[in-house]
Amino acid sequence: MIYRIAHSTIYQYSDPVTFCQNLVHLTARQSPWQACKQSQLLVNPLPAVTASRLDYFGNPTTYFSIQEPHYRLSVTAINVAALTIPVTPLASSTPPWEVVRDMIRSARSDLRLEACQYVVDSPYVASSSALAEYARPSFPPRRPLLEGVLDLMQRIHREFRYDSRATTLATPLQEVLAGRRGVCQDFAHLQIGCLRSLGLPARYVSGYLLTTPPPGQPRLIGADASHAWLSVFCPEHGWIDIDPTNNVIPSDKHILLAWGRDYDDVSPMKGVILGGGSHTLTVSVDVIPVAEAMF
Amino acid sequence: MIGSNATIPAAHPSLPGGLGQGYDQLVAGHDEMIDAQREVRPHWQSLLRALNQLGTSELARRWEEARHLIRENGVTYNIHGDPRGLDRPWQLDPIPLVINASEASILEAGLIQRARLLEMILADIYGPQHLLRQGQLPWELIFAHPGFLRPCHGLRPPGQRYLHLYAVDLGRTSDGTIWALGDRTETPAGMGYALENRIILSRTLPDVFRDCGVQRLALFFRSMRETLRLMAPHNHDNPRIVLLTPGPSTDNYFEHAYLARYLGHVLAEGADLTVRDNRVYLKLLGGLQPVDVIVRRLDDAMCDPLELRGDSFHGVPGLLQALRAGNVAVANTLGSGILESPALAAFLPSLCRSLLGEDLKISSAPVWWCGETNGLDHVLSNLSRLILRRVSQNHRQHPIVGSHLTTQQREDLRDRICARPADYVGQEPLQLSTAPVLAGQRLEPWSLVLRAFLTAVEGGFAVMPGGLTRVASNAPELLATSLQSGGGSKDTWVLASGPVSTFSLLRGTVQPVELNRGGGDLPSRAADNLFWMGRYAERAEGVVRLFRAILVRLTEWSGLIEVPELPLLLRALTQLTQTFPGFTGVGAEVRLANPETEIRSLLFDRHRPGSLAATFEGLQRVASMVRDRISTDMWRILNSLDLDDWGARGIQRPLTAVLGLLNQMVLTLAAFGGLAAESMTRGAGWRFLDMGRKLERAANILSLIRSTMREKTTAEGPLLEALLEILDSTMTFRRRYLNSVAPAPALDLLLADETNPRSLAFQLVQLAEDIDNLPRAQPTAGRTPEQRVILSMVTAVRLAEVLSLSQLNEQNQRSNLEEFLARLESDLPLLSDAITSSFLSHLQLSRQLASEQPGSRS
Repeated sequence: MIYRIAHSTIYQYSDPVTFCQNLVHLTARQSPWQACKQSQLLVNPLPAVTASRLDYFGNPTTYFSIQEPHYRLSVTAINVAALTIPVTPLASSTPPWEVVRDMIRSARSDLRLEACQYVVDSPYVASSSALAEYARPSFPPRRPLLEGVLDLMQRIHREFRYDSRATTLATPLQEVLAGRRGVCQDFAHLQIGCLRSLGLPARYVSGYLLTTPPPGQPRLIGADASHAWLSVFCPEHGWIDIDPTNNVIPSDKHILLAWGRDYDDVSPMKGVILGGGSHTLTVSVDVIPVAEAMF
Repeated sequence: MIGSNATIPAAHPSLPGGLGQGYDQLVAGHDEMIDAQREVRPHWQSLLRALNQLGTSELARRWEEARHLIRENGVTYNIHGDPRGLDRPWQLDPIPLVINASEASILEAGLIQRARLLEMILADIYGPQHLLRQGQLPWELIFAHPGFLRPCHGLRPPGQRYLHLYAVDLGRTSDGTIWALGDRTETPAGMGYALENRIILSRTLPDVFRDCGVQRLALFFRSMRETLRLMAPHNHDNPRIVLLTPGPSTDNYFEHAYLARYLGHVLAEGADLTVRDNRVYLKLLGGLQPVDVIVRRLDDAMCDPLELRGDSFHGVPGLLQALRAGNVAVANTLGSGILESPALAAFLPSLCRSLLGEDLKISSAPVWWCGETNGLDHVLSNLSRLILRRVSQNHRQHPIVGSHLTTQQREDLRDRICARPADYVGQEPLQLSTAPVLAGQRLEPWSLVLRAFLTAVEGGFAVMPGGLTRVASNAPELLATSLQSGGGSKDTWVLASGPVSTFSLLRGTVQPVELNRGGGDLPSRAADNLFWMGRYAERAEGVVRLFRAILVRLTEWSGLIEVPELPLLLRALTQLTQTFPGFTGVGAEVRLANPETEIRSLLFDRHRPGSLAATFEGLQRVASMVRDRISTDMWRILNSLDLDDWGARGIQRPLTAVLGLLNQMVLTLAAFGGLAAESMTRGAGWRFLDMGRKLERAANILSLIRSTMREKTTAEGPLLEALLEILDSTMTFRRRYLNSVAPAPALDLLLADETNPRSLAFQLVQLAEDIDNLPRAQPTAGRTPEQRVILSMVTAVRLAEVLSLSQLNEQNQRSNLEEFLARLESDLPLLSDAITSSFLSHLQLSRQLASEQPGSRS
């Protein structure tokens, strides 16, 4: 499938912003299952400085600064990405989870060293005994890794309620665990925390989701938001994506933007401003399937 | 002690009566001054001889002088947890630690090796990570450490130098071995104190210092300055180097200011710097000036709120981007704090062999990292003996001393370690050597730790021939943790093997003093704070004077018949303090009839904006931010306004007693103003302070007259008397007009008379002069906006006809006066805005933009 994603972020200020600097993760990265065909970042007003590079995790990232006074900042990222369906191993064929845990401890190869990044604590996700306890029922001794992971995903999906008013970016993980509600970002952090608390590497994935409209109804433009899920490391295979919010293994409807240890590493846009007074933030995401022939 | 039963001389030849008497009896381990046979070591003999020649009483006298010098220089060290951030005077012992030339050169080789090794490790962690790939360094030590800053990975510092400044704490055990107790690689502190100790000691004991042949420190600082200069990506010849400090509330602020002055760097806080076009700039009154090198005393993660910790108020947003663009250099490289992980020490011996092909010359105090099975077992079975640290712990946090724990605490600790073993490190406690410390009239052996300092030089490192010695009479295990602990410090004398170089960096000895009378280098932030300090001080005075007039009338007379002007004054108070509705609007009648509650609230409620207490608080806050720019006496005067006392005591006092306090307050504020006028040079800083005062006083006069004289009332006579009293013009008026108090002459004196320092005209004329004398980046042909505003105000006052202003219309109102005052009152904020936009426009504080929460819309 090929998608064209337009992600627009608009800040409106009550007072002029005299200077702003921003760092965005809005360019889709490549993966074995995804090719980014085209990527564009439109910023208004025009930045004085723009610099793109790959971050520590290999994600494309762009810095820009606007040095003229402005009341409105609009950033539109347009990505065209071609997706294939990932190859996922049979859950029962994956190694017992303890084997994965112990293998990580004695990492030697580059791929495993890379996985080690994602087993230790990060700013938003710290392992804890409470998280380990919640995860434990899904991981009886010798259970194949992916079986345990999928079971945990189902439990989170079943036991937690999607509630966009229950949490903010600042809500700590313990609160999500106790309150049993949150949004996709919270559920991704939650499952990452559970896995790390057992010694298993898991990373945060930022991206978009094509919400399939009910049959016979037109697809709602602008209703889609940016989405978040996670990825677990499975030796001999690599990384397997997991979406606890929707209780699925992502196929070709999850468009990948960036990955990192948690939200903090790959937030779509952060910034520091001078002035501005109070501001409003409007975000819209349009994910449109496009015909192959166009690209 | 080895050989303690050897010869113990009854009266030691080198430790004659007085100073050294009985010292050998107190020594219980390895001592730096006397050996196992209780003989004075050869390299201490000339010091002891010289001190003995001086005699105990002369030493005591000179030491009193030195203490005075320390206070005068304001050498302080802030102690955390002190609510008022009280500055503790620096403790310095007059007896230096003496190190002989041969030991110093052995140490030097070991220190340089250690610095090279650490720099190679740092370069690998933030570069190819071979050590992690090959397992020479456990990945957990790096990846799990919050000090490993991923955004800094791949930054390439100029000349591939990562570690520009390095400090390490050294201690000696009873067998004479020297150990490294802790590395300081993030913001190595202490070299300023070492320098200050040296300056004080060499001034106090010049003869002793000279006779001993002590190596000088200046060459080391010159190398360091040279290294920093060469780091500059631009302006190699004359780079602008700033020392970035978290500000006056930080524990080492004295050192930051001191070093900056000594090395000729600009002392700056994050808010003084900004990034534009991928470059770092200093915000000066004269405009933005590019910065080439930043010596940062700010923790790694605090340096850039855009890419590192977003909650940092002290950093420079965009700094990483400027670094990537190669337009600025930072010492030390951002991310260097990772080397301070106490677990790293366990791996240094093997890393030294593999990276340098050498054995580690200075071993670290033995450590066991619990992330490895052997280490964990050892630590758990020796918990009661070891010192425990978190891997991620920085040196400001105290370690856990196993032997100080109760059984229960030890069990809890065991559980915590077992839950997250890789987070912990156990360190062997060491019995540190002692050195003599002057305690009263005699010497006592105290444990010591020596902090050695290194600077990168071309091709390697240079070691400071000296260092900061810290001593403690008890709890020596905490000596290694931070400058905060310990009972005192010592100068460190490294003896020269040959002639001593007498090079000095102190101004006046080598370089001619550069004469500088300009004001363009005043940081905008300081100018802004001085401006507001002037405004707050003047506002406080204006409000106090009005309060005093009101309280006099309330307490000494009774009833409105006797003081018909009181309601007018109370309404003026509400107007002046902007605390509506107060004595105006709905319900005003009730409050006017019984004004005491509202008056007390306006005097003492510090949470009420506009109250006198809140104004004082503002004054002290702003003053503390420009402490380095106002005199000690001015600071003392402000400190004498005891706010806690004001609120607590004042609220219970009868109004007559409050009146007494207000009288005192008028004098205090007058003294503050007097000092500002008499003791500050007329530079840009003083101009801003003065503009603040004049602007506020003008606003005060306008507000008072406008709110009371708009219409004629039956109380006009007493009111005019009150106004003259509040504006301190009674004497002049009496002298000129004897006793006829009429509106026109009063208005003339208060508004138009340029010779009356309390008049509106006087304030405006002074403002015009201040504005004309401000530094300007480019001379402009015409008048600047602020010059135009003030000129129009001065002209308006000069052209005003006082007789016409005092005229009444048919409704008994002074419409001409109202129109005149209203116009001037609306011009004042225009003036303030024009000054701000010409000189302080880049002063806004940066803040974080809210980010979207994924999925929050679905």
